[in-house]
Amino acid sequence: MASVSSPVHGAAPGRLKRLFERYPFLPALVILVVLLALNGVFAPNSLSFRALTGLLSTYLALMLLSVAQAYVVFASDIDLSVGAIASLVNVTIIVVMQQLGGGVPSVLLALAVGLAVGLACGLANGIVVAALRLQPIVATFATSIFFTGLALYVLPVAGTPAPAVFWRTYGGRLLGVPFVVYLALGLALVLYLLARSRLATQLLAVGDDAQAAYQSGLPVTLIRIKGYALCGLFAALAAFCITGDTASGDPLVGGKMTLLSVAAVVLGGCALSGGFGTAIGAVLGALIIGLINSLVFFVGTPSEWQNLVQGLAILVALMVGIMVSRRARA
Amino acid sequence: MSADTTRSDAPPRPRLRLGALKAPVVVALILIVALLALGEALSPGFASFEQILRLLIVAALLGIVAAGQNLVILGGREGIDLSVGGVVSLSAIVAGNVMNGADGGIAMAILACVATGALFGAFNGLGVTLLRIPPLVMTLGMLGVLQGLLVVIRQGIPSGRAAPALSEFVTRPFLLGLPGIIWLWIAIGLVMAFVLKRTVFGHRIYAIGSNEHAAYMAGVPVRTMRVALFTLSGVFAAIAGICLLGYSGSSFANVGEQYMLPSIIAVVFGGTPLAGGRGGYTGTMAGAVLLVILQSILTTVNIDESGRQMVFGATLLVLMLFYGRGRTMRA
Amino acid sequence: MTKLTLRGVSKAYGATQAVRRGDLEIAPGEVHVLIGSNGSGKSTLCKIVAGSVRPDAGAVLLDGEPVAVSGPQAARALGIGIFYQELSLAGQRTVAENICLTDLPRKAGLFVDRRALAERAQRYIALFEDVAGDDFAADAVVDRLRADQRQLVEIMKALATEAPVLIFDEPTSALDRAQVERFFAILRGLKQEGRSMIFISHRMDEIFAIGDRVTVIRDGETVATMALADTEPAAVIRLMVGEKDELAAAAPQPAAAVASGRAEPLLEVEGFTGAGFHDVSFAVARGEILGFGGLHGQGQSAVLRALFGALPHSAGSVRLAGRPLASRGPRETIRRGCAYVSGDRGRDGVITGRPILENVMPIHYLRNRLVLARPGALRDKARPALEALRTKFAGFGYPVSSLSGGNQQKIVIARWLIDRPSVLLLDDPTKGIDLSTKADLFALIRELAGEGLGIVLYSSEDAELLANADRILVFNGGRISRELVGDERTRYNLYHAAYEAA
Repeated sequence: MASVSSPVHGAAPGRLKRLFERYPFLPALVILVVLLALNGVFAPNSLSFRALTGLLSTYLALMLLSVAQAYVVFASDIDLSVGAIASLVNVTIIVVMQQLGGGVPSVLLALAVGLAVGLACGLANGIVVAALRLQPIVATFATSIFFTGLALYVLPVAGTPAPAVFWRTYGGRLLGVPFVVYLALGLALVLYLLARSRLATQLLAVGDDAQAAYQSGLPVTLIRIKGYALCGLFAALAAFCITGDTASGDPLVGGKMTLLSVAAVVLGGCALSGGFGTAIGAVLGALIIGLINSLVFFVGTPSEWQNLVQGLAILVALMVGIMVSRRARA
Repeated sequence: MSADTTRSDAPPRPRLRLGALKAPVVVALILIVALLALGEALSPGFASFEQILRLLIVAALLGIVAAGQNLVILGGREGIDLSVGGVVSLSAIVAGNVMNGADGGIAMAILACVATGALFGAFNGLGVTLLRIPPLVMTLGMLGVLQGLLVVIRQGIPSGRAAPALSEFVTRPFLLGLPGIIWLWIAIGLVMAFVLKRTVFGHRIYAIGSNEHAAYMAGVPVRTMRVALFTLSGVFAAIAGICLLGYSGSSFANVGEQYMLPSIIAVVFGGTPLAGGRGGYTGTMAGAVLLVILQSILTTVNIDESGRQMVFGATLLVLMLFYGRGRTMRA
Repeated sequence: MTKLTLRGVSKAYGATQAVRRGDLEIAPGEVHVLIGSNGSGKSTLCKIVAGSVRPDAGAVLLDGEPVAVSGPQAARALGIGIFYQELSLAGQRTVAENICLTDLPRKAGLFVDRRALAERAQRYIALFEDVAGDDFAADAVVDRLRADQRQLVEIMKALATEAPVLIFDEPTSALDRAQVERFFAILRGLKQEGRSMIFISHRMDEIFAIGDRVTVIRDGETVATMALADTEPAAVIRLMVGEKDELAAAAPQPAAAVASGRAEPLLEVEGFTGAGFHDVSFAVARGEILGFGGLHGQGQSAVLRALFGALPHSAGSVRLAGRPLASRGPRETIRRGCAYVSGDRGRDGVITGRPILENVMPIHYLRNRLVLARPGALRDKARPALEALRTKFAGFGYPVSSLSGGNQQKIVIARWLIDRPSVLLLDDPTKGIDLSTKADLFALIRELAGEGLGIVLYSSEDAELLANADRILVFNGGRISRELVGDERTRYNLYHAAYEAA
C-alpha cells in the first residue's frame, strides 16, 4: 500500500490526481503489477506465456462479466443477475448446438441466439429497474431467480457437452497464437470503442447525479435501460467463454460469479455510487481476483486454507483500493 | 392538546382508513391470508395448524436473520449486510461442535456463537465507519472470508450435532402448542418494536437513517451507532444459526447462504426501504412469513424446479410493485 | 406579442403550497427579472417552465400557443434552456462534456465526436476568457473547480442550448464583479438576437443594471409586473415584503446592561484558526448578542461550526464559562452547553421524514443521558419549547416534513430550548424562512439573551444584523477586519468594512 499511496503526498500531487481522474484504474494496475511480480517470485513459471494465456482462458469469463457489471455500476445501478444470465445463455447455446448437430453453422447460430437471450435478459432488467422504478438490488435478485428457473427449464441437469469444434477453438490456437489472445485483443478494442461511445458518457453522467442529468434533458430511464441491455450482452459473451472453458452446460454455473463481478468492479476503481470508473478497470479487477487465487496456490497454502486466504486477500484489496482511490480523489 | 390553538395551517390527519390499507404490514398480512387460502385450495391441509406451525418455524429462522438486516438497513447510508449468510453457517458449525449433542453444552455454545457473530459484525461496522468502505463492499468481502473460514473449519473438525434440548426447542411444542423458537421470535419482535419506538437508541437509528449529518449535529454518536447496528446484525445471524442447527439436527455446507438475499427481501416487503430511516420490524416479520409461505406453496404445487423458480422470481417482482417504488424524476 | 406566457400556474408539495398563482409574460428580446424573497416560489416557477416540475394547474403558452412541457427533454425541444440555481452538473465529467452533455456531438451514430465536442465547448468557454480563472480548462473535472467556476459551467451549459427562451435562476450568486460584467455583456448580445430571458437575482444593482421588466412574487403569487425604468429599488422591496414591512424596523433595542456595562465574559475565543478562518479572537458576554457580518463566505460559518466542534481547527483556544472547551465533536460541546443552529436546515437540522417529537428531542436525550423515550413525558417537555416559538403544528406524531420551512426551523431551534444552553451559535438561522418566523425567532433570541445566554449571530442579511446585534464583528477573508460598537453599527460602516481590501 505504501508504494501506492506515498506518491500521492509526494512531489506532484496535482498531476497524480489528474492522472488518476483520467485513468481511475491506476491503483488496480499497480496492485495487478505487484501481484504479477509476486507470482513471478514464488513461481517463475507462472509468468510464462503459456501460463498467462491459461490464466486468461480461465478468467476471461469473469472479466467479461465484470465489464457487464461495470456498465450498470456506471449509472449507479447494480445487477445481481449477471451470473444467472450467463448460466441461461450457457445452457441455451449448449442445447441449440446439440439440437442442430454441433457443426460450425449450428455454433454460429447458437452464438447469435445466445446474444439475443442475453440482450433480452438485460432489457428485462432495465425495464424492471429503470422503468418500473424497483430497487436494483432486490429487483435483479428477483430476476436472477427467474432466469435461473429458465436455465433449469432449458437444461435441468448439468452435463450436456459442448461440440468439440466449440471448445477446441476456444482452447486451441490460430496461426500459432492461442485463440483467447485474439479474444482478449478483441475485447480491448471493443472496450476502447465503448469508452468513446455516447452511451458510456451518458451512463456516467446519470450515475453522477441522476436528478441533474434528468433536469439537463437526458433521457435517464432510457439510458439506464441501455446500460442493462449492454450488461446483458456482455454477460452473454461471458457465457460463451464459460462454455469454451468448461465445454459443457450447467444451469447454475454463473451463480457464484455474480458477487465476484461486483468485487472486480470495485477493485477496478469504479465507485458503486456511480459516475466514476472504467470498464478496463473492471477487467483489471477480475484479473486481480485471478492472480490472488493463483498466488495463494503458488505460495503453497494448504488446500483447505486457500479459500480463506483468498477471501482475506480480496477483502484487503477491496479496502486498500477504496481507500487509495478516495485519497487520490480527495 | 395545547397545540390546538395554533393549528391553523395544519395538514389533514394522515390516519385515513384507506391509507391504512396501503401500509406494508397490512399489505403483507392480506397477502399472507390470500396465499394461505390459495394453498388450501391447491392442496387441502396446507393451511392446517400443523402446517402453519411448520411454516412459522421456517419463517422464524429467516425472520431472526432479517432482524439484524433490518437494523442495518434502517441505519441508512446504503446500509446492507451481505455477510449474514456466512455468519449463520459459521454459527451453526460452532454451535454444533461446542454442544456436540449434549444439552450441557448449550449455554456455552450460545455464548460462543453470539461472540463470533458480534465479532464479525463489529468488524463490518468498523470497516464501514472507520475506513468508510461502502457496506455492500465491506460485507461482500467479509462473506468471502467467512466462506473461506467455513472450508477450513469443515475440513478440520466434524460438523457436530445439535443437543436434543435445542432440537426440541425449535421443533416441539413448548407453550400453548407453539415451539420455543416461535416464542423466541415473538419476544424478539416485541423487543425490537419497543427498542425502535420507545428508546433513545431506536430514535437515533431512525435519525441517522434519515439524515445522518443532522443527527451528527444534534449529538447522535453516528459511528458508534453504526458499529452497534452491524454488531447486532452479526448477533442475530448467530442466533439464527443456532436455531437452524436445532432445526436440521446437524450443520452442513453453507446452510446459511439461503438467507442472504431473502433477509433483505423480507425487510423490503416489510416496508423498510433500502434507503433506510423508515419502517420497522413488525412489517419485516410479516415479510418473512410471506416469503416462506410463497416458497412453500410453490413446493406444494406439482411443478418442477424450473417452473417453481420462474414463478417465485416473477411473484417477487410483482410483489415489489406494491412496495414503495422509487420516486419519479419529475417532481 | 409575448414569447412566453404563464397563466394561473400552481404547485403544492404535500402541505406546502410552493406556487399559488403564477402569472408571467415574457416579451421577445427582453431580460425579465423575477424577484421575491426566499421561498416565494421563483425557482419552482422556473422549473415548471423547464419541465422538471409538474404543475398542478395552469397553462404555459409559447408564442401564443398552449404547449405541454412534459419534461426537460420536451422543454429543450420547445426551445427552453435553463440555468439551475442548484446546478445540474455531472461532477466527475469534464467542463467540455458538461457543456455539451444534453446533446453530445455524435460520430457514426454511436460515438462521441471528440473534436466537435471540444470545438463546441470552446465556443462557450471563450465567452468567459480571462475572467474564468487560469486553471479553468475544457478538460478540467467539474468537481475540482471553484464554486464560481462551476457556476460559469452551468451558464455555458445553458447558453449551449442556444434556446430562444433562457432561464437564469440566480446565476450570479458566486460570481465576482468581472465575471458578472462579462455575463451581462453576453446577455445584452442575446437580447439583440431577440432572445427572451428570465433572470433571478437578489442583488438590486444587478437587477437594475440588466433587467427590462420585473415581476414580483410574494408567497407564491404574482404581485405585479412593471418596467424597471419606471421604478426604484425601494418600491420593488415594498412589493416583495408586502404589508409585513414594519417587522424589520420594530427590532428591540439591545439590553441596557450589555450596551453600557461590561458583563462577565462567557465564551472567550483566542487566536482561533482553521480551514477558512485565521487568528479569530473575540469574547461574548452573558446576555450579549454578538453579530458576525461581512460578505457571504468570509469564514463566519466556518468559525461557528468549528466552535461547535463540527469542523476541525488547527490552533487557538476556546474557554466557556472560564473552562477550556476542547471541541472534539458536537457531542462534547453540546454537553458543555453549546447550541448551534444552521440556516441549512435540510442538511444540518431536520431529521427528514421523522415525527416532530423525534426532531425536538435529540439534544434532550444527549444532555440527560436518557435510555428510554416515554412519549408522554417527552411531549410535556417539548410543548413549552414549541410554544415559546409560536410553532404551528398539528401534533407531535406528524412528520416534520409536513411543516413549512419556517416551522421546520422552529422545530430545530426548539431542540435547544428544553435544556437551556449557555451559548447559542446562530449560523444564518433565517435563511429561506418567512418574515413572521423571523420576527418570532428574533423576539426569542432577545428574550434568551435577557435570561443570560451568550449569543453569536451570523446573518447574511445586513438588516437583521443591524437590528439585532449589540456588537458586530465584520469578517473579511477569514479574519475579523473591524468591530462595530454602539452608534458605529450603521449600514454604511458595515458595507464599508465588508468591501474594503483586507
